[in-house]
Amino acid sequence: MVAEIKRSPATSPPEVSASTASSRARRGRRRRARREAAIFLAFAVPNLALIVLFTYRPLFLNMYYSTLDWTLGAPTARPVGLANYVEFFRSSEAGEVFLTTAVFTLSTVLLSMALGLLVALGLNRKVRGAGLARATVFSPFVLSGVGVGLAWQYIFDPTVGALGAVLRSFGVDSPQWFNNETLSLIMVVLVYVWKNLGYAAVIYLAGLQAISSDVLEAAAIDGANARRKFFSVVFPLLSPTTFFLLVTSTLSSLQAFDLIRVMTPLGRGTTTLIYDAYLRAFGGYNQAGYSAMLSTVLFVLLVILTLLQLVFLEKRVHYR
Amino acid sequence: MSQSDPAESSRELSRRGFLGLAAAGLSATALSACTGPSTSTDNGGGDAAKLDFTGVKPAGEITFWSSNPGASQEVTQQIIDAFHASQSDIKVQLVTAGSNYEDIAQKFQAAQAGGKLPDLVVLSDVWWFRYYLQDSIIPLDTLFTALDWDTSDYRDQLLTDYKYGGSIWAVPWARSTPLFYWNKAHWQAAGLPDRAPKTWDEFAEWAPKLKSANAGTQNAFQLPALAGYAGWSFQNVLWGRGGSWSAKDSFDITCDKPEAVAALQFLADAVYKNKWSGVAGKDSTNDLSAGAVSATVGSTGSLVGILKVAKFDVGAGFLPGGPAATSPVCPTGGAGVGIPKKIKPENQLAAATFIKFLTTPENTLKFAQATGYMPVRKSADPSSLIAKAPQAKVAIDQLAVTRNQDWARVFLPGADQEMANACAAILTKNGDVQSELSNLKAKLEGIYSSQVKPHLR
Repeated sequence: MVAEIKRSPATSPPEVSASTASSRARRGRRRRARREAAIFLAFAVPNLALIVLFTYRPLFLNMYYSTLDWTLGAPTARPVGLANYVEFFRSSEAGEVFLTTAVFTLSTVLLSMALGLLVALGLNRKVRGAGLARATVFSPFVLSGVGVGLAWQYIFDPTVGALGAVLRSFGVDSPQWFNNETLSLIMVVLVYVWKNLGYAAVIYLAGLQAISSDVLEAAAIDGANARRKFFSVVFPLLSPTTFFLLVTSTLSSLQAFDLIRVMTPLGRGTTTLIYDAYLRAFGGYNQAGYSAMLSTVLFVLLVILTLLQLVFLEKRVHYR
Repeated sequence: MSQSDPAESSRELSRRGFLGLAAAGLSATALSACTGPSTSTDNGGGDAAKLDFTGVKPAGEITFWSSNPGASQEVTQQIIDAFHASQSDIKVQLVTAGSNYEDIAQKFQAAQAGGKLPDLVVLSDVWWFRYYLQDSIIPLDTLFTALDWDTSDYRDQLLTDYKYGGSIWAVPWARSTPLFYWNKAHWQAAGLPDRAPKTWDEFAEWAPKLKSANAGTQNAFQLPALAGYAGWSFQNVLWGRGGSWSAKDSFDITCDKPEAVAALQFLADAVYKNKWSGVAGKDSTNDLSAGAVSATVGSTGSLVGILKVAKFDVGAGFLPGGPAATSPVCPTGGAGVGIPKKIKPENQLAAATFIKFLTTPENTLKFAQATGYMPVRKSADPSSLIAKAPQAKVAIDQLAVTRNQDWARVFLPGADQEMANACAAILTKNGDVQSELSNLKAKLEGIYSSQVKPHLR
């Protein structure tokens, strides 16, 4: 039921019924909605199209390839359903690859963050040369992983490397960094941490500088010593930074490739999930379907880890 | 402000609704756009009979993908410039498509899925057969005929390396063999004859003298880095003791036979028991050039680099033999050039015209002088090469006593990696030789059954 609005003929223009006004209002809303939708489309569609084309399309293609027995480069392939997944999870390789991935990721993330925090605490002082020190700490992060890997190879080379020469001068033989699987993993972790701790340091430094001096002064007035101030005030207030670093560093670490490829091309002791995917497709085996399966497993792992971090860790973050 | 009618609102395009629709639509588009390999059973085949270059005019411009083996970019460009000077119909663009054979293989295989393919490509001894299996390259016999190209002048051992199914699939270009390199000063200090050992057992007798006479040297011998083609260089030790990765000209895997086990046990003893050998971390020829070790085995392609860096006289000799055979115990190696299938016949013809020029006796000699690789033509006079580096004569002479590589190493995808991993377990973890080689056999047989046998034409 629509009520009509009656107006006096002397005071009003031609009488307009309430239903007509309502109808106009609806049309106006529709026009606005259409206009807003058109503007939204104009801005969103190009970006969405790019994301779909370069992110989701490869993702879906990869999932499709993971169900094929496909030799890389071959024009034909055989559908095998989930056989690649079954083969991987039933093999002894799966356990080794997951273990290596876990050790590499945990050690690089935790070491980068812990050392990055220490460096940030050191850099968060008003001393001469602080700017240069910050640039020096951060610079390895912007260097090419391939270049860094090549340079460190010449340091670690047991026969002609710099580290070996130093050790021999003390009468100690160089460890076999490239031939011993455990040492290879340690070597790659060390270089990865060296390259990436500058990133954690700079982010932590920004977090430290955002902490109000009033809070620290209040803690000091309450008698807190340096250690107490750090663990009870500074570190909790850095929790958003820590959470951000944990998420981004974990994602980066799980996808680390260049250093492993350059320093340990066979992947002995350093075959993480992503490197196994590379080796299977491009490392001589040509198993594109199997490699796509490994990439899909990595994708699922990344999604699960990110969700877990968001669900469980974000609750412990103090944003103010 | 008036509130909107809920019923009306539900018909309007809400942001959430739009996003949902857009995501669904775009996902559907993405899924429908899924392309990739065909899952039909017809693979097209690489039938030489289908190729016909009658009436085809060579393309005006072609690209050459190279990994510049042996730091050959400069000399390759010089040869290309000479090609341009010799004719004006075909321009060649040299593209550095990787730093080693594996890099270029990755790029070439990725390009098969829709990227821009080269017109000719460097393919190593372990990669060309995979391209054959994948139907990615063409047989060259028709082009030999079309271009009146006499291939009888190519060194037979090198050309037949690319022969399969009655056709030739590549032309030898940067071809090598392993050589035994030694530090002559260390030899002299140890009072050893100025030659390579004839057998590995002879070297095992020399090694203690080398170690004691050259204090400060890290190892009497350095095994090549395992990541760098262990499967290639260790064939020499296997053959010398009567073993092999696989039986001659067959896919019958023999790496677990007693002869092969004895060969790898000899190397393991050299490292762990007798301690006269180390295993290179990165590059054994660098270790030799730096004076850190007394001898090693390396490619002829490393010769020029070793001579440039070493500050001592470098000896180069045939690979040592073993108790079962002293010759032939040397594998061929290196790379040739081939032509992709999925390019136009005009480009294939132009590419073949350039390959013919690239490997003339004059140009193969020029290439050999600059890199250390071997001249691939019989009529190439090596005297200028030998005058410049007498060691080059050894490589050329040794070619007469080479043996075609074991099929297991060159024809099975990933076999090189598996061989390197098995050797690593034996030589760097002191693993049990018999069990490691038995595991290797199982892996190689699995690769053959799943990846090679179904694709053999």
